[in-house]
Amino acid sequence: MAESVLTLKDVHFSYGDQTVLQGVNLSLRRGEFLGLVGPNGSGKSTLIQLALGSMVSDAGEITLFDQPLRRFRDWSKIGYVSQKVNSFNRGFPATVSEVVASGLYGKLGLFRRMKKNDWNKVDETLERVGLSDLSRRNIGRLSGGQQQRAFIARALVHDPELLILDEPTVGVDTRSVEEFYTLLTHLHREKGLSLLLVTHDIGAVTTYVDRIACLNKKIHFHGDPDEFTRKRRKILSVAYGHEVQVLKHDHEPVPLA
Amino acid sequence: MIEMIAQYEFMQRALIAGVVIGVIAPVVGVFLVVRRLSLIADALAHVTLSGVAAGLLLQKHVPFFQGVNPLYTGMGFSLTASIFVEHLRRLYRSYQELAIPVILAGGIGLGVVLISAADGFNVDVAGYLFGSILAVGASEIRWIVTVGVLVLMIVILFYKELFALSFDEESAVFSGIPRRWINLLFSVAVAMVITASIRVVGILLVSGLVTLPVAASLQIAGSFRQALIYSVLFAQVAVLSGLAAAFYLDWASGGTIVLVSVFLLLTVMGCKRIGRVWRKRLAHRAQIS
Repeated sequence: MAESVLTLKDVHFSYGDQTVLQGVNLSLRRGEFLGLVGPNGSGKSTLIQLALGSMVSDAGEITLFDQPLRRFRDWSKIGYVSQKVNSFNRGFPATVSEVVASGLYGKLGLFRRMKKNDWNKVDETLERVGLSDLSRRNIGRLSGGQQQRAFIARALVHDPELLILDEPTVGVDTRSVEEFYTLLTHLHREKGLSLLLVTHDIGAVTTYVDRIACLNKKIHFHGDPDEFTRKRRKILSVAYGHEVQVLKHDHEPVPLA
Repeated sequence: MIEMIAQYEFMQRALIAGVVIGVIAPVVGVFLVVRRLSLIADALAHVTLSGVAAGLLLQKHVPFFQGVNPLYTGMGFSLTASIFVEHLRRLYRSYQELAIPVILAGGIGLGVVLISAADGFNVDVAGYLFGSILAVGASEIRWIVTVGVLVLMIVILFYKELFALSFDEESAVFSGIPRRWINLLFSVAVAMVITASIRVVGILLVSGLVTLPVAASLQIAGSFRQALIYSVLFAQVAVLSGLAAAFYLDWASGGTIVLVSVFLLLTVMGCKRIGRVWRKRLAHRAQIS
């Protein structure tokens, strides 16, 4: 369990003369569910982009699965749900199955076609997220919460060991948010999937994660969610710079239908 | 018409050209439309005009070019332009459609200047502007078939990658799909389709053949596969109608093809509407009883 899935050591990043990340240290151990919270513009998405190698840090060290980012090639170990998925073209002529299958294309590689067992994989994943009945439905015709599940399925279909979700609950109704957390907890417990969830929704996340990190340029807290809840007022007033109202979600996770 | 096709070689050529173009134009069109790049076809067609004009000019003055079909120089121009479009799209990330008027205006501008500089050609430039399916030559048909095979191969071999990039470029790139190469290859396919289609529908109407069947198919397609199949079906109907109209009525093939496509689109829209009203009525009746 000691193996680390993602670590950031003293990572700095700035756009021009605007500092975005200043000496950030963060670690995610195998099988852990880490919540990364912070206000808008705190550098959460930048941190993800750096960890995924689509931007390069100014200083510091990033490792993925104990390998330096520069030498890491096995991207199929990672599933990523971007915050931009909500803005996809809703008139796109594609079924849920077709969209989820596209999550396999990178791993399959050029010139290899989808075979029977690849499609079985798609069906299995759809079942895991509870979308089996809608596999042939046009993706634009699903509800917001269902679309979100479809995109999680796309990120899961190639069996990653780490799933990174960037603000996935934006624009999704409360009920779907609850179902979403239930699904994540389920995946986390059943499959031992390591999870990194980026969100600005501080209330719900503490109920579900193993550890929580609070970011605003620097890491202001990194530890146990209970401790976070106890010290919340203090942490948040430092990280957010003012008192924050927190909506609490106290429900137990509902079992998946 | 079948007798005529058996009897006359020019009819066989027209039929082959029509069927090939009626497959590759809408197939490439589906990817262009879902990427919101429908007008690229139009822009590249106009660049092809300047390439054709350049080819005619060279034919007039350089002996080496006398045997070279001006469509080849046209294709060279549109290939260059299609690569330039990709570059412009990267340059203006938030104004991606800006690439289209830049290329379109540049293409016409250069074409018109070249035509005027040549002080008239022996060949009718209007033939390139409006196309004529019955005038496809023997050497051109070989070329159209070659282009057809190449384009189909590109689409079949890279179907997965093209789909993933069209749906969500960011995730596709993250999953390891080589965006640059695939996009470049696709640009080459688009340029080839456009030049090959010019003989049949003409520069001014190429974009109609590339986008109208797709527009109709998007109305009814639930999946990407269906979108491809329906647009090819619609395009085939349009192209064959164009061929028939050109042969029997001596109408312009390009114009007929585009008009039939518009008619198909309206029919699909109408049928959809009737279907909706009908379903509502049935549901209403079921409620009453």
